[in-house]
Amino acid sequence: MKPLKILVIDDELVICSGCRMILSDLGHTVDICKTCKEGLDAIRRKNYHLVLLDMKLPDADGMEILKTVRAEKSEIYTIVMTGYATIKNAVSAMRLGAFDYLPKPFTDEELVASVERAIKNGAGCRKMQ
Amino acid sequence: MELIVWKATELLAAKGAIFRLLNLQTEQLELYAAHGLGKKYLEKGPVSSYRIITELCSQNEIIIIEDILGDSRVQYPKEAWEEGIRMILDIPLSLGKHVVGILRIYFSEHCEISKEKKDFMIAVAQQCSCAIDKARLIEEQQSRYDKLTIQTAKLSSLGRMAAGIAHEINNPLAGILLYSSNMIKKVPQEGPLKEGLDIIVHETIRCRGIIQELLDFSREKEPKKTLANINDVIGKALNILQNEFRLDHITVETDLSENMVSSFLDENQMEQVFVNLLINSVEAMDKGGHIRIKTRIGPEKKCMKIEFEDTGCGFPKEALNRIFEPFFSTKAKGTGLGLAVSYGIVENHMGDIRAYSEPGKGTSFIIEIPLIQQPPSEKTDGFKNEAS
Repeated sequence: MKPLKILVIDDELVICSGCRMILSDLGHTVDICKTCKEGLDAIRRKNYHLVLLDMKLPDADGMEILKTVRAEKSEIYTIVMTGYATIKNAVSAMRLGAFDYLPKPFTDEELVASVERAIKNGAGCRKMQ
Repeated sequence: MELIVWKATELLAAKGAIFRLLNLQTEQLELYAAHGLGKKYLEKGPVSSYRIITELCSQNEIIIIEDILGDSRVQYPKEAWEEGIRMILDIPLSLGKHVVGILRIYFSEHCEISKEKKDFMIAVAQQCSCAIDKARLIEEQQSRYDKLTIQTAKLSSLGRMAAGIAHEINNPLAGILLYSSNMIKKVPQEGPLKEGLDIIVHETIRCRGIIQELLDFSREKEPKKTLANINDVIGKALNILQNEFRLDHITVETDLSENMVSSFLDENQMEQVFVNLLINSVEAMDKGGHIRIKTRIGPEKKCMKIEFEDTGCGFPKEALNRIFEPFFSTKAKGTGLGLAVSYGIVENHMGDIRAYSEPGKGTSFIIEIPLIQQPPSEKTDGFKNEAS
C-alpha cells in the first residue's frame, strides 16, 4: 500500500492520537491538529494526500475546511468523522467534496477500510500542486 | 342547574330545592346548586348516607319523605326541622340504570303533588341527566387532551436531551473503540487479554447501537410522504419478520380491508412502527402465539384504523400507562425506545396510537391515521426541501 501523508483534525486528542497510531502502523505519515485554524494552516503549508476531519471544531465548523480544500487543494481526499451522523449531514459533506463519511465511534478496521478505499480511488496518485 | 332548582321551587310552590351530583370517586352526593335554603343548613356537607344513595339507585323513582325527624333518608333531620322543612321530594337523575344525582325539593308544609307535576319533574330530571352526561364527556375529552399535550412535551424535551448526551458520548466512545479494536491485533490471539478486548469492542459497538437509536428517536424527522397503501406496508413489515414467526411457531392472521385506499404517508416510518409492534409481540409470546392484524377505513373515509393484537404476556396497568415513554421497557434488554419512536412517527402523521392490555391476556395496539389523498404542500414536505 502506498504510504500517504495524512492530517487528522479533531479537537479530541484521544481520537487524533488513536488515528495516528493506527495509520502510522500501516506506514503512513500522520500529523494532527486540534482546531480549524491550525488545520487550515497545515493544509496550506504542507502537501497532504488525505485529511481526516471532525465536523465539530471549537473555533469553526468543519465545513470551512472542506470548502477551502475544494477551492485551494482539490487533490486532497477528505474523510469526514462526526459524532452526530445524519443523512443530511453526510449529504452536505459529500456535496462539498468529502470522499467518505465515518460516523463516530468507529473501529480500527472501519478507519483502515475507509483510507484504503481512498487510496484505491486515487488518493496519493494525483499530482501535488 | 341554578335555574332548575329555582324553577322547580317556584313551580311546586316549595320552600327551596337543591341539586346534588354523585361523585364517582368518593361515592358522595355533592352539592351542585341550591335555592331557597339557609347557609347554615347547606354547610352541613355532602350527603354520604348509604341508604339515601342505594335506595335512590334501586327505586329510581320519585320518593316523598313526610316524616322529617324519623326518616333515615334525611341525613341531618334536626337541622332540616330547624330550617322549617316538613316534607321532601327526591327526584333521581339517572342515565340508563345508573343514578348520577338527585334533585331534592323542600316544602315548609305537607302538600299533595299532582301526577302532572311529578311527570313534569321526571322529564326535567331526564333532561338534566343528559346535560350532565354531555358535560362529563367533554371533561373526559379535555383531560385526555391535556394528558396528551403533557406527554408530547415530555417526549420532545427528553428527545432533545438524549440527542445532546448521545452526541457528547460518541467522542469518548470513539477513543475506546479505536484503541481497543487496534489493540486486539497486537495482543496474543488467545488468552485473557484478547478475551477482555473482545468484550470491550463488543460492548462499545452495543453502545453505538443504543446511541444511534437515541439519535433516531430525537431527530425531528419530517415524514417523507408518498401515496401508499397501508396494507402493502404491513405486508412488508410481516415479510421482514417472517423468519422470527417461523422459529417461534407464531401464527399471523391478517384481516386487511379490501377497500383500503392509498394515502399520503411515509412508508419507511410506518413500516418501522409495524416492525416495532411485531417485535414486541414476538418477544411477549411463548412459542405458538398468535398475532392478528386488522385494517379498516373509518367513517366518511376520513381515517384508517390499524389494529395489532397478540396473545402475549400483556402489561400490568402501571406499565401500560408508561409504555410510550422513552427509556421505559419491560424487557430485560430493551432500550425502551421502540414504542417511543413509534409514538413520534404516528404523531408526525397526525395520528393516534393507543394500547390496551391485561397481564396474561395479550396486548392490542390501535393506530388511527387520517386518510390523505391530496399531496401535502411543498412547505410541509421535509424530504423535498432537503433534496432540493
